Amino acid sequence: MKLFDGVAGKLIPLVLMLCAGCTSTTVDEFRQGETGIASHETVVILGRRQVSSYETSADFVECVGDRLAQGANGLSVVPEQEFLDAMFPWFEPRTAPLRTQDLERLMAEEQVALTMRGFGVRYIVWLDGFTETIDRSGSISCTVAPGGAGCFGFGSWEDDASFSARIWDVDNFNAVGTISTDANGQSYVPAIVIPIPLIARVEANACQRLGDQLKNFVIGS
Amino acid sequence: MTNPAISICRVLLPALLLSACGANSVVISGSFPTPNIGKLPIDLAVVYDDNLLDFMYTEYSETGQEEYYIQSGQSHIQLFNAVLPAMFDNVTFVDNLEAAADSGADAIFVPNIEEFQLALPAKTRLDVYEVWIKYNMRLLTAEGAYLADWELTSYGKTPTETFLTTESAINDAAVVALRDLASTFALSFARVPEISDWLANR
Repeated sequence: MKLFDGVAGKLIPLVLMLCAGCTSTTVDEFRQGETGIASHETVVILGRRQVSSYETSADFVECVGDRLAQGANGLSVVPEQEFLDAMFPWFEPRTAPLRTQDLERLMAEEQVALTMRGFGVRYIVWLDGFTETIDRSGSISCTVAPGGAGCFGFGSWEDDASFSARIWDVDNFNAVGTISTDANGQSYVPAIVIPIPLIARVEANACQRLGDQLKNFVIGS
Repeated sequence: MTNPAISICRVLLPALLLSACGANSVVISGSFPTPNIGKLPIDLAVVYDDNLLDFMYTEYSETGQEEYYIQSGQSHIQLFNAVLPAMFDNVTFVDNLEAAADSGADAIFVPNIEEFQLALPAKTRLDVYEVWIKYNMRLLTAEGAYLADWELTSYGKTPTETFLTTESAINDAAVVALRDLASTFALSFARVPEISDWLANR
């Protein structure tokens, strides 16, 4: 226990806490066309779910939507599930348009065009990606005895979140751009009697940066 | 005279022990939207076979023990009840083929489940729960003669999450599979060759 006495005992937790905030996020933007949105127009953010090995989390889609709607210049965002239910069966994993040409064909259906106009959708944003834990190490063991309970050990892992947002202009049936984000960070759980989780907010950071970039992209600034 | 507390324990203890070893039951439940499509000019009678109404799938563990009972009959009825009236001009739900013939409908629709498969992360080592369902759909004339007989498959998956129970995850994956069935059925019905010919000749 002497190791954690004095200066070392105070510095090690401090260093670990600082490292927990060390999430690095990269955002790339590729613009293919002009954008802009009127006050009566809306944006819908949809998760791609046609790949069998993973699916874009509904929570991440909601998080990006909330980020777009926040702030003084917040956009009007149609909730994903409300849109999918109203458009059923045209935007399900097996039937959703994969290209803008498919969207143009889909809009030839009277019911689809009417519902789309009813929502006032100007842009469809397709989110595709996932978060994975790529490196896990260490171990923590806990013991319960009549005199008390406690844990000892150290665990750490690295999370990597990789998402892309493809933006379609519904008025002109064309793709106007792609924004990609990649975030990674290391999480630690030191346990000296009590486990102290120091979690890197990788997906939350990816959502925040992607949401902010997406909002500026759609507004056209 | 036996102590009543001991008698209760004699009954409850074995029941508790048995329930701890027994399979878990999952009754699929969810809400299904109505399709946003144009209606076909068909007066349809629908017969739900007992196999569909009482459909239950049993998932076995790797040691051959019954692990999960999945009851999805009623959720299928709920799904068809939501989907069919949005697809056809007039839909009548009847108990059997005789009642369907008496209803004066243009055609009789009889859906059925042929196969149900479940993939659990504990067995597949993947981070998703998956459900596959294979259906046999039959369309008969008002007199009960063959019009069309085709197969449909549906697929649903849901990712593993920290606080999601296996029962909830199976339910979520099955609901996605049911939505997949509804979307495929709604969009492909008129494209089944026999049905397409029948519609063209009416």
